[in-house]
Amino acid sequence: MKKLSTLLLGLGLLAVSGCEKDLDQVPISSGSVPTFFQTADDFTQSLTSVYSALRYSTAGGYADRLMNLSETRSDNLYAVADIPGVRDWEPVNNFATTLASNVYINEAWATNYASIFRANTFLDQLATNGAVVDAATRTRYEAEAKFLRAFFYFDLVRYFGKVPVLDKPLSAAEAAKVGRSPVADVYKLIISDLQTAAAALPVSYTGSGNVFRATSGAAKTLLALVYMTRSGPTYGIEGPGLATNEYAQAAALLNQVIATNKYSLQANYANIFSYTNENNSEVIFDVQYISGGLNAGASFPGQLVSDDLFTTLKIPYSSGSPEARFASNNLISSYPAGDLRKNSSFILSYTNLTGYTEMRPTITKYLNPSLRGVTRFDWPINFIVFRYTDVLMMRAECILHGAGGTQADVDAIMNQVRTRAGLTGTVSGTTLPQLMEERRREFVGEGLRWHDLVREGLVLSTIAAWQAVDDVKKRMSPIQANFIIYPVPQNELTTVPGLYTQNPGY
Amino acid sequence: MRKTPTLPGGQPARLVLLAAGTLLLPTPGAAAQIVASAQPGPAQTRPTASPQARATTTPSARPAAPTIPLRQLLGQWTRQYKAIIAYDSEVVGDKRVTAPAEGGPLEEKLSRALAEAGLSFKRLHPNNYVITPAGTSSVAAPMQDIVVAGRVVDGKGEALPGVTVVVEGTTIGASTGMEGEFSLKVPEGSTLVFSFVGYAKKEVPVTGATTALRISMSEDSQSLDDVVVVGYGTQRKGDVTGAIASFDAKNLNERPITRVDQALVGQLAGVQVKQTTGVPGKGFSVQVRGAGSITANNEPLYVLDGFPLEAAAQTAAGGFAAGSPLDNINPNDIENIEVLKDAAAAAIYGSRAANGVVLITTKKGRSGKPKFTLSGYTGVSEKVRGLDMLSTEEWIDRAAEIINAAWVASGPGRTASQTTAQRMAILGNNTLNPNLMIDERWYQPGRPGLVDIDWQKEGFRKGLAQNYQLGASGATDYVNYYVSGDYLKQQGIMIGLGYERYAARANVEVKVSPKFKLGLNLAPSYSIGRDPGIEGKDQQLHYLTFAIPLGEANVGLDANTGNNLPYAWGGRNSPIRVMEQTTGDTKTFRTLGTVYADYQLLPGLNLRSTLNIDNTDGNTKYYRPAAVSGSLGSRLASGYYNGYKKLTFVNENTLSYNKILREKHSLALLAGYSYNTTKIDGQRLTAANGFINQAVTTINGATTVSGTTDNYTTETRNVLISTFGRLQYAYDGKYLFSGSIRRDGSSRFGENDKFGVFPAASVGWRISQEKFMPKQDVLSELKLRGSVGFSGNNGIGDYSSIATLGTYTYSSGGALIPGQAPARINNPNLRWEKSRTFDVGLDFGLLENRITGSLDYYTKTSQDLLLNVPVAATAGFATQLTNIGEVLNKGWEVELSSRNFTGAFQWTTSLNLSHNENRVVHLGPGDAPILIRSDWEIENAILQVGQPLYSVYAIRTIGILSQADIDNKVARFGTESAGDPKYEDANGDGKIDANDRQVVGQPNPKYTWGITNNFRYKGFDLNILVQGQNGGSIYSLFGRAVDRTGVPYNENVLGLNRDRWRSADNPGAGARGKATASFGYTKTTDWLYSSDYFRVRQITLGYDLGLLLKQRIAQGARIYITAENFFGHDKYTGGYNPEAVNNSSGDGNFPVGVDYGGLPLAKTLTLGLNLTF
Repeated sequence: MKKLSTLLLGLGLLAVSGCEKDLDQVPISSGSVPTFFQTADDFTQSLTSVYSALRYSTAGGYADRLMNLSETRSDNLYAVADIPGVRDWEPVNNFATTLASNVYINEAWATNYASIFRANTFLDQLATNGAVVDAATRTRYEAEAKFLRAFFYFDLVRYFGKVPVLDKPLSAAEAAKVGRSPVADVYKLIISDLQTAAAALPVSYTGSGNVFRATSGAAKTLLALVYMTRSGPTYGIEGPGLATNEYAQAAALLNQVIATNKYSLQANYANIFSYTNENNSEVIFDVQYISGGLNAGASFPGQLVSDDLFTTLKIPYSSGSPEARFASNNLISSYPAGDLRKNSSFILSYTNLTGYTEMRPTITKYLNPSLRGVTRFDWPINFIVFRYTDVLMMRAECILHGAGGTQADVDAIMNQVRTRAGLTGTVSGTTLPQLMEERRREFVGEGLRWHDLVREGLVLSTIAAWQAVDDVKKRMSPIQANFIIYPVPQNELTTVPGLYTQNPGY
Repeated sequence: MRKTPTLPGGQPARLVLLAAGTLLLPTPGAAAQIVASAQPGPAQTRPTASPQARATTTPSARPAAPTIPLRQLLGQWTRQYKAIIAYDSEVVGDKRVTAPAEGGPLEEKLSRALAEAGLSFKRLHPNNYVITPAGTSSVAAPMQDIVVAGRVVDGKGEALPGVTVVVEGTTIGASTGMEGEFSLKVPEGSTLVFSFVGYAKKEVPVTGATTALRISMSEDSQSLDDVVVVGYGTQRKGDVTGAIASFDAKNLNERPITRVDQALVGQLAGVQVKQTTGVPGKGFSVQVRGAGSITANNEPLYVLDGFPLEAAAQTAAGGFAAGSPLDNINPNDIENIEVLKDAAAAAIYGSRAANGVVLITTKKGRSGKPKFTLSGYTGVSEKVRGLDMLSTEEWIDRAAEIINAAWVASGPGRTASQTTAQRMAILGNNTLNPNLMIDERWYQPGRPGLVDIDWQKEGFRKGLAQNYQLGASGATDYVNYYVSGDYLKQQGIMIGLGYERYAARANVEVKVSPKFKLGLNLAPSYSIGRDPGIEGKDQQLHYLTFAIPLGEANVGLDANTGNNLPYAWGGRNSPIRVMEQTTGDTKTFRTLGTVYADYQLLPGLNLRSTLNIDNTDGNTKYYRPAAVSGSLGSRLASGYYNGYKKLTFVNENTLSYNKILREKHSLALLAGYSYNTTKIDGQRLTAANGFINQAVTTINGATTVSGTTDNYTTETRNVLISTFGRLQYAYDGKYLFSGSIRRDGSSRFGENDKFGVFPAASVGWRISQEKFMPKQDVLSELKLRGSVGFSGNNGIGDYSSIATLGTYTYSSGGALIPGQAPARINNPNLRWEKSRTFDVGLDFGLLENRITGSLDYYTKTSQDLLLNVPVAATAGFATQLTNIGEVLNKGWEVELSSRNFTGAFQWTTSLNLSHNENRVVHLGPGDAPILIRSDWEIENAILQVGQPLYSVYAIRTIGILSQADIDNKVARFGTESAGDPKYEDANGDGKIDANDRQVVGQPNPKYTWGITNNFRYKGFDLNILVQGQNGGSIYSLFGRAVDRTGVPYNENVLGLNRDRWRSADNPGAGARGKATASFGYTKTTDWLYSSDYFRVRQITLGYDLGLLLKQRIAQGARIYITAENFFGHDKYTGGYNPEAVNNSSGDGNFPVGVDYGGLPLAKTLTLGLNLTF
């Protein structure tokens, strides 16, 4: 027995001495930061995660945000259901003053800052530990990250006006001290980043593995749009317009993009958005998606589609609610006879399974039911952020604002676009309102309408006129200048009390 | 601790029961006559006095060696040897003997000590002795004139061997044999006194000679000599200085209980057991003294026969992701349960003790004849109540109101009186738009072609349950064993729900030598839980509740399944068919195993080493056929297979030392080391795009299986290494002290804070033992306790201190490319939540402990809370896990037990009442309030300094808006109009918005209580448990789902809406506004309910069939019938069960579950039979 007790005691002591190193457990099924940013590949992956922020998560990200906050806010959609009050996009459509706690508003703020954090982390690490990346790649990577950072800030400034500006990753405590900067200061960082990007990025890349990357064309297009947006009227609010009259700078950049001869118009309008014609000659920058349940599919094609239409299209979906975001009468009637864009952008009417015929059109520009992924949030189609038609029409816009170029240039662009749309005859003496109406038809469902109206100073008059005619259910509030930008999310105000002030009107 | 019951007739209290049963026989001086009726036969036997016993020493001739009161020694031995030693108090008196050496057989020690005291002893049975004056011989007393023989049984009719039977006022006595039998010759007209440890003493007058006297003894839970299981050891109840609640589980097989946690409902003060789900086999939520943690675990640590099993926090959606430690455990194997409530009791478990510790002890064999038990029950359950929804007529009325209003609003010139045909004509498409047109059959007599459907009636059912148990137990000098097998099959109260369990247990302890014990506890179990997806948002109970109460007659319950369309005015896949055809089977195989060795190194010094393994393999197969999915033309089957393997390994080594010094100083020391690791492997495979055909329902039959989100294997592991020690000291049984300390190192915490130290101390004063306490009969026991201590909470996920990388892939040209970025902020300083508990308690016994009870007051301050502090979004993340914040819980607890009647009719009552309040003391930086994000509109819960945890934060509804209100510019929410709810403009800014929310309730009840009444008369016993809670509230998202403003016509709504506002002239009851509300919705007090309830949790009526049965067939037999939850009331009119938790509120950082459609409780009628052979 004595031996046994010695043995037991011995075993016990062995256990005490041998195991404390077991306390240093590291995750088995995921990486961790201490082992990251050590190889060139780590930087490549980190930069990829910044691009990934463009599609952030299921039903979130840049494209979906455009559907919810620009398309829905604009006169393109009359998103007032027969039986109201169940969906979060109705208050957006209706200019409700209760938007501060709306999920879409929250998403726009939080996702953009999470994306900026990834870009800032990458840039910060690249500056301190980036020696493992070769110099040329390092320069390009920095330019790509700065392009993306500017991209996210520009999204913020258009929706919220003044926003906090952070150009490096900050701790929570530090971030809690950074208040909202004047709009001009936000633009300062955006323009600086884009100038760096425009100078350093290549015109194009080789290999399909790089097709998602930002090019100098993308940076210049975005910078041109930034100048044009800044040049828009102030409306007496602290919004994206600063009336800076920088159309010449914008036109110059657009001309450079055109001069690359890298881009051209697709012959057929529908082909631009074809599932089998991605990354075509018209695409300057897009958000890339693939389906197959990889958590990398697109949800934006179905954002504006009702449950009932999903069911009718036999897209597996447990149907239920009687709500939809239909195209406005005003939008549909703006299409002239023979406009090919009408049929390829809408399902004009359909009969559902119970035999009811829905006469109101739905925007289904990106929807190809036969090529859906595993869920209705898993479409393989890329979202085109900038396309060459847009570059041309932006140039026309600049010209009409007095930047270099002639009315003939403007009309030529108009006719080029209209001809492709199947319209016969030519137009001349195109005015700004006419150009903007053409943009509306051309870019329907692409989320540009609201921003276009704001930029051109048309938003108050156009929306008010539209509301008077189309709001038969009388559920929208009359448009006001304060509604041009959205409120700061309520939970940001709560989290850091006193740091931000709410935008007027909310 | 001794209790000194008075004999009837006001005699001085002299009958004393010691720890494991030492009986003082009051002798009136007559020569003691001990008659044993032990087998073989009732022959009188001479006391077997040993040679040493004859070599007497006079009590006065004390030896020089240190002496010890014999009485104390006997008490010590009864505990040490689990023996029964009966003696006459006058015989033993104040005799003292030389303190003997530790160890050795009991009889040897008895012989030596008794010889020294001039006494002798007699062995009645193994481990059952009576002490007699030396030389006493069994001389027949002349007074004996009649023979009384019979049998002693316990409440269940099982034989009780070893019961001491004496004739009152004499030393004539015996002890019962293996079958509980006894035989005595007694003077006529005398009274027999039956005593047995743990049972209430029973006195029976002798009325004449008999051989068939049947004595049923009831268990006495009041005994302060009971041994209480404490962490890493046991302690006499009287010496306990911490706050410990005990639950005697021995009689659980008298009730149809399917889970251990179910048995605790309403039983213990300060222990709130919530039945959060109605799915059979699922764990309950247990909370000890309120919630101290905001985001980490609030469940206690479970310790099963010394094996610590961490409960994972209940998931946000309710339930336990990798199982509850109590899953699959057969409650009938449980001997008793102790809940360590304060830090002094629990801190020996260190970083896992802050939520209390539940010690569960399983059964062991008892010495005596091997016992074989067979029991079973069968029962039927149904829902306690349904939910009041609109009837078919009422739904039609509301739907038409909404549809007509939408029609009128859809364009000029449209009126409600236009027929459906006219409306089609106006729209020009000649088709039916149910949004704008009604079904004209609604108003035709008999509703031709339509059928009314009461979905609740169709979906709920009567569920059958049956349970069978086999068990064998016994003990010899070398082996102690308990072996059991159990089969349970239970149908849920809703179609598709069920649970089956096969469980076995073997507890075997082998005494290799007097110093060395080796034991093995092994409990394999297998269960199948069936749940087609009933509880929670968008699950079948939710759908079934709001399904509209009619459909096409030719489709009926097949709506929107197979080739059938939904009814045009609304209809998901018929929940009935979904529940019938969906498979959701969770199979769990669990093996709990413990091997231990206990070796006595020196007298009083024991080394104990245990190896414990808990291995759980759980997997779930889910398959929902195409026929009951999707919509016509796009019906696709769905399915997944997921599982986990959880392995917990614990090695614990303890050294314990017990010593009594100089008679009055009792000392117990403990030191230990523990290594604890848990590894969880998870896996999942999910079908995409349906299945190839209906024949194959496993994932190999899926059309595709792709993607990493839904298909994966993962592994996590944590390690906890601890050292601990404890000192318990008692002086003269009056002044008690206990101190403990534990140092834990955990892999879960930051590299800078891997170790934590948790000290605790407690003191006790047994005032009733003091000499200054006057001799009186009222106060029999009084003890004052006080404790302070620190304990921890490590209930966060593994690796939480480390900034893990998230995978953020992107794609390029149709190919996936990898991307990674930090998924959270690291925190190398992350450490335990620390709780500081103060506890003051009073234990008392009144009227010879007829009434016993305890009072406790405590404060528990939880600091360094693990809080996902919301940070400004500009920091890149929504939250950061930090040790910050403080929550205070304080409250009091009362436990009372009373034996109201002790005669032939016995009535005992036990009551527990607890009060707990918590409030947030500190939060994140600047103490900024934290709003808990909700997936449904704005937040409705808040953490705010000075308020209870997760206070309900909502806009107060104060009535219905009238046109006059609107004209007077009363504050409104958005575009509200007359007939919509009127809200309180709390901030007075003239409009209603999120800023008008205020704290309107708290989720935790302030008072919880339970009352158990036990009645016994002749062979009958009746047990009634009533429990309830008061002072809390529920913010119900389910209530909101079925009652929100503007519920569309294609859903049904709460019955409350039948008296809604219809017009200024017909404003209804004022509780609900108009059906056509179009302003949207916000979070208001409309969906705030009181969580108060009371329930008659169970009524059990039993009858001891032993009175009817012949002894040969069975030793004991009891038949019982139990009614569970037949009576009760709650105020939760927006859902089925006020304690339900089944859905995440939407904020992963604050895992507070909500009710989004939880099942009602089941009321069950059960018939059961227990047999003992």
